[in-house]
Amino acid sequence: MEQSFKFDIRKGIGSDTIQFYGNIDAQADQHFDDLIRQVSTNRVIMDFSTTGRINSMGIALLLRSIKSIKTEKNAEISIQGLNQINTMLFKMTGIFMLASEARAN
Amino acid sequence: MAHMKKTTRHIHGFRLNRNGAIVCIPGSPLALPQRGRVHEWRVMSPEDKETIIAHLERLLDGADDAHDFLRQRAALLVDEMLENALYAAPRDAGGGQIFRKGAKRGVLPGEQITLRCAYDGERLSLEVSDSWGSLTPETVRRFIALNLASEGADTDRAGRGLFFMWRLMDDFYVSVKPGEETSIGGALPLYPHSD
Repeated sequence: MEQSFKFDIRKGIGSDTIQFYGNIDAQADQHFDDLIRQVSTNRVIMDFSTTGRINSMGIALLLRSIKSIKTEKNAEISIQGLNQINTMLFKMTGIFMLASEARAN
Repeated sequence: MAHMKKTTRHIHGFRLNRNGAIVCIPGSPLALPQRGRVHEWRVMSPEDKETIIAHLERLLDGADDAHDFLRQRAALLVDEMLENALYAAPRDAGGGQIFRKGAKRGVLPGEQITLRCAYDGERLSLEVSDSWGSLTPETVRRFIALNLASEGADTDRAGRGLFFMWRLMDDFYVSVKPGEETSIGGALPLYPHSD
Protein backbone atom coordinates (compact mmCIF):
# COMPACT_ATOMS: atom_id res chain seq x y z
CA MET A 1 0.00 0.00 0.00
CA GLU A 2 1.79 3.12 -1.22
CA GLN A 3 0.22 6.10 0.50
CA SER A 4 1.49 9.02 2.55
CA PHE A 5 0.85 8.71 6.23
CA LYS A 6 -2.11 10.51 7.73
CA PHE A 7 -4.56 9.93 10.54
CA ASP A 8 -7.98 11.10 11.54
CA ILE A 9 -9.79 10.96 14.85
CA ARG A 10 -13.48 10.14 15.08
CA LYS A 11 -15.05 11.35 18.28
CA GLY A 12 -17.54 8.83 19.58
CA ILE A 13 -19.55 8.53 22.76
CA GLY A 14 -16.93 7.98 25.42
CA SER A 15 -14.16 7.06 23.03
CA ASP A 16 -11.89 8.42 20.31
CA THR A 17 -11.08 6.22 17.32
CA ILE A 18 -7.78 7.01 15.63
CA GLN A 19 -7.71 5.78 12.04
CA PHE A 20 -4.22 5.38 10.54
CA TYR A 21 -3.67 5.59 6.77
CA GLY A 22 -0.56 4.67 4.77
CA ASN A 23 2.80 3.48 5.99
CA ILE A 24 4.01 4.25 9.50
CA ASP A 25 7.74 4.98 9.31
CA ALA A 26 10.19 7.82 9.90
CA GLN A 27 8.14 10.11 7.64
CA ALA A 28 5.20 9.84 10.05
CA ASP A 29 7.18 11.23 12.99
CA GLN A 30 6.05 14.85 12.49
CA HIS A 31 2.36 13.88 12.85
CA PHE A 32 2.49 12.07 16.17
CA ASP A 33 2.71 15.07 18.52
CA ASP A 34 -0.44 16.42 16.92
CA LEU A 35 -2.12 13.03 17.27
CA ILE A 36 -1.45 12.89 21.00
CA ARG A 37 -2.73 16.47 21.44
CA GLN A 38 -6.02 15.65 19.72
CA VAL A 39 -6.95 12.75 22.01
CA SER A 40 -9.62 14.01 24.38
CA THR A 41 -11.11 10.96 26.09
CA ASN A 42 -9.75 8.23 28.31
CA ARG A 43 -10.81 5.45 25.97
CA VAL A 44 -8.92 5.28 22.68
CA ILE A 45 -9.30 2.81 19.82
CA MET A 46 -6.46 2.63 17.31
CA ASP A 47 -7.68 1.32 13.97
CA PHE A 48 -5.04 -0.05 11.58
CA SER A 49 -7.38 -1.44 8.92
CA THR A 50 -6.23 1.23 6.44
CA THR A 51 -2.56 1.07 7.40
CA GLY A 52 0.17 -0.28 5.15
CA ARG A 53 3.61 -1.21 6.44
CA ILE A 54 4.76 -0.42 9.94
CA ASN A 55 8.54 -0.63 10.06
CA SER A 56 10.84 -0.55 13.10
CA MET A 57 10.79 3.25 13.19
CA GLY A 58 6.99 3.14 13.03
CA ILE A 59 6.90 0.68 15.91
CA ALA A 60 9.04 3.08 17.96
CA LEU A 61 6.65 5.95 17.16
CA LEU A 62 3.63 3.88 18.15
CA LEU A 63 5.23 2.74 21.39
CA ARG A 64 6.07 6.34 22.25
CA SER A 65 2.61 7.65 21.43
CA ILE A 66 0.78 4.84 23.25
CA LYS A 67 2.86 5.47 26.36
CA SER A 68 2.23 9.22 26.11
CA ILE A 69 -1.53 8.80 25.66
CA LYS A 70 -1.72 6.40 28.59
CA THR A 71 0.31 8.70 30.82
CA GLU A 72 -0.87 12.16 29.78
CA LYS A 73 -4.53 11.31 29.11
CA ASN A 74 -4.84 8.46 31.60
CA ALA A 75 -6.41 6.51 28.75
CA GLU A 76 -7.04 2.86 28.00
CA ILE A 77 -6.06 1.92 24.47
CA SER A 78 -7.34 -0.89 22.30
CA ILE A 79 -6.20 -1.91 18.84
CA GLN A 80 -8.15 -3.20 15.86
CA GLY A 81 -7.81 -3.87 12.15
CA LEU A 82 -4.30 -5.33 12.14
CA ASN A 83 -3.13 -7.48 9.25
CA GLN A 84 -1.07 -10.62 9.84
CA ILE A 85 2.43 -9.12 9.76
CA ASN A 86 1.51 -6.13 11.90
CA THR A 87 -0.10 -8.44 14.47
CA MET A 88 3.18 -10.37 14.57
CA LEU A 89 5.23 -7.19 15.00
CA PHE A 90 2.99 -5.91 17.81
CA LYS A 91 3.47 -9.21 19.65
CA MET A 92 7.24 -9.19 19.09
CA THR A 93 7.72 -5.63 20.30
CA GLY A 94 5.47 -5.56 23.35
CA ILE A 95 2.77 -3.23 22.03
CA PHE A 96 0.13 -5.68 23.24
CA MET A 97 1.54 -5.25 26.73
CA LEU A 98 0.42 -1.62 26.58
CA ALA A 99 -2.76 -1.89 24.54
CA SER A 100 -5.33 -4.65 24.24
CA GLU A 101 -6.55 -6.15 21.01
CA ALA A 102 -10.18 -5.18 20.41
CA ARG A 103 -12.51 -8.13 19.98
CA ALA A 104 -14.30 -8.32 16.65
CA ASN A 105 -18.03 -7.75 16.93
CA MET B 1 34.80 6.42 -1.24
CA ALA B 2 34.31 9.52 0.92
CA HIS B 3 34.33 8.98 4.68
CA MET B 4 35.34 5.36 4.22
CA LYS B 5 38.05 4.00 6.45
CA LYS B 6 39.87 1.21 4.62
CA THR B 7 40.91 -1.64 6.79
CA THR B 8 42.16 -5.13 6.06
CA ARG B 9 40.21 -7.20 3.53
CA HIS B 10 39.20 -9.74 6.14
CA ILE B 11 35.64 -10.96 5.58
CA HIS B 12 33.17 -11.57 8.39
CA GLY B 13 30.44 -13.86 7.15
CA PHE B 14 28.14 -15.62 9.51
CA ARG B 15 24.70 -17.00 10.16
CA LEU B 16 22.80 -16.81 13.38
CA ASN B 17 20.66 -19.61 14.70
CA ARG B 18 17.27 -19.18 16.42
CA ASN B 19 18.97 -18.35 19.71
CA GLY B 20 21.13 -15.64 18.15
CA ALA B 21 24.29 -17.73 18.25
CA ILE B 22 26.76 -17.95 15.38
CA VAL B 23 26.52 -21.39 13.85
CA CYS B 24 28.80 -21.25 10.83
CA ILE B 25 31.09 -18.96 8.87
CA PRO B 26 30.23 -19.36 5.20
CA GLY B 27 32.38 -18.11 2.35
CA SER B 28 31.58 -14.81 0.74
CA PRO B 29 30.08 -13.47 -1.43
CA LEU B 30 26.97 -15.38 -0.51
CA ALA B 31 25.17 -16.27 -3.70
CA LEU B 32 21.44 -16.28 -4.15
CA PRO B 33 20.00 -19.67 -5.11
CA GLN B 34 20.16 -20.67 -8.75
CA ARG B 35 16.49 -21.71 -8.89
CA GLY B 36 14.37 -18.92 -10.28
CA ARG B 37 15.49 -15.73 -11.97
CA VAL B 38 17.53 -13.30 -9.91
CA HIS B 39 16.14 -9.76 -9.98
CA GLU B 40 18.40 -6.86 -9.13
CA TRP B 41 17.73 -3.19 -8.40
CA ARG B 42 20.22 -0.40 -7.78
CA VAL B 43 18.95 2.03 -5.18
CA MET B 44 19.70 5.69 -5.85
CA SER B 45 17.61 7.37 -3.14
CA PRO B 46 15.04 6.57 -0.42
CA GLU B 47 12.31 7.41 -2.93
CA ASP B 48 13.22 4.25 -4.87
CA LYS B 49 12.05 2.10 -1.98
CA GLU B 50 8.33 2.15 -2.76
CA THR B 51 8.90 1.49 -6.47
CA ILE B 52 11.10 -1.51 -5.71
CA ILE B 53 8.65 -2.90 -3.17
CA ALA B 54 5.79 -2.54 -5.67
CA HIS B 55 7.83 -4.49 -8.28
CA LEU B 56 8.64 -7.15 -5.72
CA GLU B 57 5.00 -7.51 -4.68
CA ARG B 58 4.05 -8.09 -8.32
CA LEU B 59 6.62 -10.91 -8.49
CA LEU B 60 4.84 -12.61 -5.60
CA ASP B 61 1.54 -12.77 -7.40
CA GLY B 62 -1.14 -14.94 -5.83
CA ALA B 63 -4.59 -14.32 -4.42
CA ASP B 64 -4.52 -16.60 -1.38
CA ASP B 65 -3.65 -15.78 2.23
CA ALA B 66 -0.20 -17.38 1.98
CA HIS B 67 0.84 -15.11 -0.89
CA ASP B 68 -0.65 -12.10 0.87
CA PHE B 69 1.37 -12.85 4.00
CA LEU B 70 4.51 -13.41 1.93
CA ARG B 71 4.03 -9.99 0.30
CA GLN B 72 3.56 -8.39 3.72
CA ARG B 73 6.75 -9.96 5.08
CA ALA B 74 8.76 -9.20 1.94
CA ALA B 75 7.69 -5.54 1.90
CA LEU B 76 8.57 -5.07 5.57
CA LEU B 77 11.97 -6.73 5.27
CA VAL B 78 12.97 -4.90 2.10
CA ASP B 79 11.95 -1.69 3.85
CA GLU B 80 14.15 -2.55 6.86
CA MET B 81 17.08 -3.75 4.74
CA LEU B 82 17.06 -0.62 2.56
CA GLU B 83 16.65 1.70 5.56
CA ASN B 84 19.66 -0.03 7.06
CA ALA B 85 21.72 0.47 3.90
CA LEU B 86 20.56 4.06 3.36
CA TYR B 87 20.81 5.40 6.92
CA ALA B 88 22.63 3.06 9.30
CA ALA B 89 25.48 1.98 7.04
CA PRO B 90 26.94 5.37 5.99
CA ARG B 91 29.47 6.39 8.63
CA ASP B 92 31.97 9.23 8.86
CA ALA B 93 35.63 8.77 9.67
CA GLY B 94 34.80 8.80 13.38
CA GLY B 95 32.15 6.12 13.00
CA GLY B 96 29.24 8.57 13.37
CA GLN B 97 26.05 8.10 11.40
CA ILE B 98 26.01 10.51 8.43
CA PHE B 99 22.30 10.60 7.60
CA ARG B 100 19.37 10.99 9.95
CA LYS B 101 16.59 8.40 9.51
CA GLY B 102 13.99 9.67 7.09
CA ALA B 103 16.19 12.44 5.70
CA LYS B 104 16.20 13.07 1.97
CA ARG B 105 19.42 11.88 0.42
CA GLY B 106 20.92 10.60 -2.81
CA VAL B 107 23.70 8.08 -3.16
CA LEU B 108 27.17 9.53 -2.65
CA PRO B 109 29.89 9.26 -5.30
CA GLY B 110 31.10 5.69 -5.26
CA GLU B 111 28.29 4.48 -3.02
CA GLN B 112 26.33 1.44 -4.19
CA ILE B 113 23.19 -0.04 -2.68
CA THR B 114 21.77 -3.10 -4.41
CA LEU B 115 18.77 -5.31 -3.73
CA ARG B 116 18.76 -8.80 -5.21
CA CYS B 117 15.97 -11.32 -4.97
CA ALA B 118 14.93 -14.66 -6.42
CA TYR B 119 11.60 -16.41 -6.10
CA ASP B 120 11.01 -20.02 -7.09
CA GLY B 121 7.33 -20.18 -6.19
CA GLU B 122 7.96 -21.50 -2.69
CA ARG B 123 10.80 -19.43 -1.29
CA LEU B 124 11.84 -15.81 -1.73
CA SER B 125 15.54 -15.08 -1.26
CA LEU B 126 16.49 -11.49 -0.47
CA GLU B 127 19.83 -9.75 -0.20
CA VAL B 128 20.76 -6.09 0.20
CA SER B 129 24.36 -4.95 -0.24
CA ASP B 130 25.90 -1.59 0.53
CA SER B 131 29.40 -0.37 -0.21
CA TRP B 132 30.24 0.77 3.33
CA GLY B 133 31.18 -2.40 5.16
CA SER B 134 30.51 -0.63 8.44
CA LEU B 135 28.46 -3.25 10.24
CA THR B 136 30.34 -5.49 12.62
CA PRO B 137 29.41 -9.03 13.70
CA GLU B 138 29.50 -7.81 17.29
CA THR B 139 26.88 -5.16 16.53
CA VAL B 140 24.55 -7.68 14.89
CA ARG B 141 24.88 -10.11 17.78
CA ARG B 142 24.43 -7.33 20.35
CA PHE B 143 21.26 -6.01 18.68
CA ILE B 144 19.72 -9.46 18.42
CA ALA B 145 20.65 -10.31 22.00
CA LEU B 146 19.23 -6.97 23.19
CA ASN B 147 15.90 -7.59 21.48
CA LEU B 148 15.80 -11.23 22.55
CA ALA B 149 16.61 -10.52 26.16
CA SER B 150 13.56 -8.48 27.03
CA GLU B 151 9.93 -8.72 26.04
CA GLY B 152 9.32 -5.22 27.38
CA ALA B 153 8.05 -2.42 25.20
CA ASP B 154 11.15 -0.18 25.15
CA THR B 155 10.46 2.77 22.89
CA ASP B 156 13.86 3.37 21.34
CA ARG B 157 15.48 -0.02 21.52
CA ALA B 158 18.39 -0.21 19.07
CA GLY B 159 18.57 -2.81 16.33
CA ARG B 160 14.87 -3.57 16.05
CA GLY B 161 15.06 -3.73 12.23
CA LEU B 162 17.87 -6.27 12.31
CA PHE B 163 15.92 -8.24 14.88
CA PHE B 164 12.90 -8.36 12.54
CA MET B 165 15.13 -9.67 9.73
CA TRP B 166 16.58 -12.37 11.94
CA ARG B 167 13.21 -13.40 13.34
CA LEU B 168 11.32 -13.50 10.06
CA MET B 169 13.89 -14.88 7.61
CA ASP B 170 15.23 -18.38 7.25
CA ASP B 171 18.99 -18.70 6.84
CA PHE B 172 19.59 -15.09 7.86
CA TYR B 173 23.16 -14.10 7.11
CA VAL B 174 25.47 -11.13 7.27
CA SER B 175 28.64 -10.82 5.22
CA VAL B 176 30.98 -7.91 5.84
CA LYS B 177 34.14 -6.83 4.05
CA PRO B 178 35.15 -4.07 6.47
CA GLY B 179 35.25 -0.71 4.76
CA GLU B 180 34.08 -2.18 1.45
CA GLU B 181 30.79 -4.02 1.52
CA THR B 182 28.04 -5.34 3.77
CA SER B 183 25.53 -7.89 2.50
CA ILE B 184 22.53 -8.95 4.56
CA GLY B 185 20.18 -11.62 3.37
CA GLY B 186 18.00 -14.61 3.99
CA ALA B 187 14.87 -16.31 2.73
CA LEU B 188 11.13 -16.16 3.26
CA PRO B 189 9.17 -19.35 2.71
CA LEU B 190 5.70 -19.08 1.19
CA TYR B 191 4.44 -21.31 3.97
CA PRO B 192 6.31 -20.30 7.13
CA HIS B 193 6.96 -22.93 9.74
CA SER B 194 5.74 -22.07 13.18
CA ASP B 195 8.28 -21.86 15.99
